[in-house]
Amino acid sequence: MPPVTLRLKEPLTGVPLEAESISPDLFADRSREEIEALPVAWGNEAHRLGDFFQVDGERSEEIEVEGPIGRVKWVGSAMTRGRIVVHGDVGMHAGSYMRGGEILIEGNAADFLGVEMEGGLIHVKGNAGHRAGAAYRGSKYGMRGGIILIEGNVAHEVGAYMRRGLIVITGNAEDFLGARMAAGTICLFGQAGLRTGGGMQKGTIVCMRPVELLPTFAYDCTYAPVFLRILFKGLKHLGVQTPPGATDGSWRRYHGDLADVGKGEILIPA
Amino acid sequence: MAEGVAVKEAKELTVVKGVTCPFCGVTCDDLEVHVVDGKIKDVKNACVLGKDTFMHHLEGWATPRIKGKPATIDECIEAAAEILAKAKYPLIYGLDSTELNAQRKAIELAELIGANIDHTSSVCHAPSLQAVQTVGISSCTVGEVKNRADLIIFWGCNPAEAHPRHPSRYSVTAKGLFTPKGKKDRMVINVDVRPTPTTRMADAFIQVKPNSDYEVFSALELNRFTKFQCAPMRGHGNVVGMAQVLTWQTGYPFAVNMSRGYPRFNPGEYSVADLLAHREVDAALIVAGDAIGNFPAKMAEHLQSIPLIAIDPKESGTTKVATVVIPTAQAGIAAGGMAYRMDHIPLVMKKVVDSPYPSDREVLERILAKVSSMKNGGNGAPSPASKGRG
Repeated sequence: MPPVTLRLKEPLTGVPLEAESISPDLFADRSREEIEALPVAWGNEAHRLGDFFQVDGERSEEIEVEGPIGRVKWVGSAMTRGRIVVHGDVGMHAGSYMRGGEILIEGNAADFLGVEMEGGLIHVKGNAGHRAGAAYRGSKYGMRGGIILIEGNVAHEVGAYMRRGLIVITGNAEDFLGARMAAGTICLFGQAGLRTGGGMQKGTIVCMRPVELLPTFAYDCTYAPVFLRILFKGLKHLGVQTPPGATDGSWRRYHGDLADVGKGEILIPA
Repeated sequence: MAEGVAVKEAKELTVVKGVTCPFCGVTCDDLEVHVVDGKIKDVKNACVLGKDTFMHHLEGWATPRIKGKPATIDECIEAAAEILAKAKYPLIYGLDSTELNAQRKAIELAELIGANIDHTSSVCHAPSLQAVQTVGISSCTVGEVKNRADLIIFWGCNPAEAHPRHPSRYSVTAKGLFTPKGKKDRMVINVDVRPTPTTRMADAFIQVKPNSDYEVFSALELNRFTKFQCAPMRGHGNVVGMAQVLTWQTGYPFAVNMSRGYPRFNPGEYSVADLLAHREVDAALIVAGDAIGNFPAKMAEHLQSIPLIAIDPKESGTTKVATVVIPTAQAGIAAGGMAYRMDHIPLVMKKVVDSPYPSDREVLERILAKVSSMKNGGNGAPSPASKGRG
């Protein structure tokens, strides 16, 4: 089945559009007219998807969005299958609650990318914002499974409250990466900001560059963890080139956050 | 004085005791206001901030106007209702210097028009509120501080200038049940990035590097040694009131959105700073607060580019640029009601003088009635499409 193509009829310049209807689960069995009739919210007004998007194609699990949709929120939220490709920027909450399938963002993703994700793959070629792969306020846990791959940089609190899954950032992160993390793996190739792993309970943060650690993290040992070779091999399949020396080098292991449960680990090349 | 000579009648003096000051979070309720001929002539027991608030109450009053031209209150309310009824993604902001019933009406209005509603907690103690949501808080009233606290730590705050009567009423020199000698029964420590006037009242000063409080707290283990309580020093007179009422009515203390027909909470999305920085809102109602005067330029810029309604007793940076200005009777002075002190204790605010203008509550009620009739109630936004799974 060829993909359903969406093109914004008019650029959005102010009030954002909430479009959780843009989901392979909802497009898979619907005709073009039915897809156009799917509900979207423009602020406090109810509208149809077709009011904002030119829709081509039907009954497909593959969705292609042409052009930037930086003010369209909730794209691919809770999807369980299929594929969404956005040829440009995407708005907040993209891929939140996702259970399966794939989202590819060729531009930048706004804040709250993949929040409370349970499965599937989100790949962002550009940057992501704050709280990617984190939890919504009030939830005990954030991302529970799946993979988020961000080639660019990310902002604050990425991977906060993580429970399982993998976040790979090949650019830089800002503060509180993996804050209050319960489990899961974060792999950062670039520079971290402040308070990496603040409040960490368990989980792993792999930092390719030196990090300014909190006083509540303690050094354990220098070693060559086997699981990292498997991790980097897996990343190769995702198209992520491992930095030189990462697979056969030694790593310094720190555990923390000792002000909390403190069984998290931060790995930094030795 | 001989009979037959005309004597000027003595003006009637009314002394109102137990007046609650609306200015800051200390919420002193022992002010004595002297009113002569319906005007405030003197205030006893207030600090300089409170005294100014009452004594200069008549100065700089706002005037009712639409697009800069004088209008009646009724015309202003009609114009405001029209703006709000049409808006797709409005913002209601401010509210921390008005009283509880007005705050309730603002929330009712936000629900009716499917608005974002936020207040100064968002740009001040939001991190404290989020911390409380995450881990809880062990706190106490200022009465418990006065009666029991023998160690006070002023961390990153300057009550000497921001809460002038806090030390004498509650925390430093106040004499309590178990602290009968006042300051002599207490040790006061001040922690800050540089000394302030508060440092002078402390027995010890600990200077921390800017932006390192998180690291310092990580290393401290206070409750291991004795019973510690934590109390945020709230700024505006009724900021706690707004957080309380908003939590009571919606479940969330700030940054609430109602555009989908039910309350949603998301700092970073529905918080005022982000709504304005992302230029998402298409109309704004600012009640009892000078948003324009206090926000960063980029945020103030967006506010000035959309229809803006200001409900405020006084002229401010916001009223100067607002599309519609509705002056009101100042809460706690010309309008009664209730407020919450910084320690979450509700107190009654008295009306000590009259005003030609209606109260914030009344204006909001009238706007609500107008909008209801324009909108036929409710909004048409759909609820979420079962998390995108149809």
